[in-house]
Amino acid sequence: MATKPDSVYRGMDRKAAAIVEFTLRQYRTKNSTWVVLGVGFTALALIFMIYIAAMTDVVEAVDNDGDSYDYDNDGYPTGQEVRLGTDPFDGSSHPGLFDPPVVPDPASMYVNEDGFDWDLSASGPTATMGFDDDGDCLDENRTASQKDQNDNGIPCDILLVYYQSVLTSGGDWEVLADNGVDEDPDENEYAQEAIHVAFVLSIGKLGFVLLLGIFLPLFMATGLIRDEMSSGTMHFLIAKPISRTEIFLYRVLGYLGIVWPYIIALGLLGALITGFLGPSDGFFRFQDLGVWLSIIFATMLATLVYGMLFNALGVLWKYGIILAIPFAAWELGMALLSMGAPETTLLRFSVIGWALMIIDSAAMFVWPNLDLFIAMGNWGGNGDGGWLGDSSLEGSNALAFAASKPGLGLSAFWSLTVSSLVLLFQAVMLWFIGGALFKGKEIQ
Amino acid sequence: MIPDFDQQGKAETTAWQPEVNVPAILLENVSKSYGRIFALSNITLALNGGVTGILGMNGAGKSTLFNILMGKLKPSQGSVKLFGTDPWKNPAPYVRVGYVPEHEKMYDWMTSYEFVSTFARLNGLTRAEAGVEAERVLEFVGLSDVAHKKIGQYSKGMRQRAKIAHALVNDPELIILDEPLQGCDPLARTTIMNVIRELGRQGRTVLVSSHILQEIERITEQIVILHHGRLLALGNLHAIRERLDQIPHRISIQTPTPKQLAKDVIDIDEVYGISFPDGQNISIQTHNLAAIHSQLPRIIVENGHTVTAIDNPDDDLASILGYLTGGGGK
Repeated sequence: MATKPDSVYRGMDRKAAAIVEFTLRQYRTKNSTWVVLGVGFTALALIFMIYIAAMTDVVEAVDNDGDSYDYDNDGYPTGQEVRLGTDPFDGSSHPGLFDPPVVPDPASMYVNEDGFDWDLSASGPTATMGFDDDGDCLDENRTASQKDQNDNGIPCDILLVYYQSVLTSGGDWEVLADNGVDEDPDENEYAQEAIHVAFVLSIGKLGFVLLLGIFLPLFMATGLIRDEMSSGTMHFLIAKPISRTEIFLYRVLGYLGIVWPYIIALGLLGALITGFLGPSDGFFRFQDLGVWLSIIFATMLATLVYGMLFNALGVLWKYGIILAIPFAAWELGMALLSMGAPETTLLRFSVIGWALMIIDSAAMFVWPNLDLFIAMGNWGGNGDGGWLGDSSLEGSNALAFAASKPGLGLSAFWSLTVSSLVLLFQAVMLWFIGGALFKGKEIQ
Repeated sequence: MIPDFDQQGKAETTAWQPEVNVPAILLENVSKSYGRIFALSNITLALNGGVTGILGMNGAGKSTLFNILMGKLKPSQGSVKLFGTDPWKNPAPYVRVGYVPEHEKMYDWMTSYEFVSTFARLNGLTRAEAGVEAERVLEFVGLSDVAHKKIGQYSKGMRQRAKIAHALVNDPELIILDEPLQGCDPLARTTIMNVIRELGRQGRTVLVSSHILQEIERITEQIVILHHGRLLALGNLHAIRERLDQIPHRISIQTPTPKQLAKDVIDIDEVYGISFPDGQNISIQTHNLAAIHSQLPRIIVENGHTVTAIDNPDDDLASILGYLTGGGGK
């Protein structure tokens, strides 16, 4: 048959390429393909709109320590009176009585006047950081013990203690701050950064891996073999000298031929939108690209594994999509579990648990200080007992929900490697199972 | 289980070597049952070379037989060999087989050229080789001029020919056609029959199934009759025909002028009786159907009769089967 020696290209140009091309062209003729891709795009576009709204929205600055108020109505904000040594609660004591009189500062000078001076690259078990920008801790009228309430021998600092969890690979930072240190941070700055990161992580995990990762194969891979069988066109394929295991594989490759470029395109679009709109010193957040690449990669692997699985379910039963739905529900549960408790053993029996680990690993590379950043936002300037009640900053809870450490307790590199290999292994196993099911199938 | 990574049509670790000196098709005691219902019962059959017609009513087991041959069904008992190899879970013998399924659904969005060349590549041809091959077979079935039109725009007969073309791409030694004439108009029928006869003349083994005797008769004399899953008769159609000629046939003609038509028809020698079931019909009795059919059109045209319908209520498979099973047949 072949007169020329076979190169790899000529080898692939035969059966594999024929079925892949055929599958791609077949998708193009189906309305359902365009509906599914369109719905996926619309869903993500809506989520991106929420992001754009969040990024353009300015979080209102809050005076966490209350020193911009003028309690005694003498025209001087509390912060100025404290700094200059007059009584902020006594209207007859204010810097205007000085000689020469001091002009009142505008109240806004005492909002967000003592921001975070943290070194986020610190690692446990203890670290000390922070600086009293507005001088209300370093006030010369305070005693040494008032300045060092956390008893670490350093006046006006913040002591961070890292507690390694016994149960999990993670741990928590406890923030022990001296009063008046970093107590009035810039809410908007923190919220922008936290919401941006939380958004990238949660759209990656829930929007891409969960929604696209299950929704696309559910509607596009379940019918790869099943539709051919029910419409009677399968007879053309299986009457040719090609193993059914191969047909199974090449059909899935054809499906990936349309799903993967789609995911890559949407992922790059997401990277562009969040890269330009996200808070950044430059014009573009280049550092986030690594996370976006991992989101694309994780979604591609998820659609590969689910594609194999749902295709096999379609072979198994004409109504394979019914078998796929409980599975999709299980994976939804596993996705939420993975975001809350990534070290749970149950997650090893899911696909999405491994896929999300890829994103978490990449987040660990790109944002190595995320847990300290979350601890900072939760503490929010005043710790417990802050005069506004819960002092955590806007965005820190969302970020705490979206971010998690890779559950295996390995380094970022090894988590990435292991989870990718597990997903590939799952895909190969499902290919063999699906191929064997198809092979033993009697077709009328 | 081991996939064919080198794309050459192998299904096992070693290349498939067809056995020599074995018939193209060899079935031994093959049965296929669904619970207690036998779709095929104890079929033993060897076929090699020439065109063979598989005749049977709907549900006689023709498609089951073909599905077993094409590895789509696993026989409950017995052994099936295509060129000496069991086709179940092994597509290797299909290198030498072309199959035309009976299902009407096709890929309407493809042109017949795309359809044939895409599936030719599954036989292990490259894109370039497949293109050349597709043009050759489309020419052979007479679809060259419409090869680049979408199959969805084809007539029934053109679709059947496209299906036949797709089965011929690998120059198969065995060609299996499941009801290739079903639903075709007379012109398409003739073309397809010529194609099938030509394939037989080229020395290939051709299997054609049909439930209409006259169709098979025009293609081949070698027939296999299936009835309720059993092999009822096997051999030359003439031998079976001769016996059938002993029983009377009826031809029913619907016309507004039955009396006048009867007067003209009675002149044909082979007619031995005419009756008038009602005012619109005449019924002709004969032992030689073919002779009547060759003369009837001339008589109708020459005498200017108006005829609305001609029907042969007896000359169908059912009455032959009835004769073979109930009468003095096998």
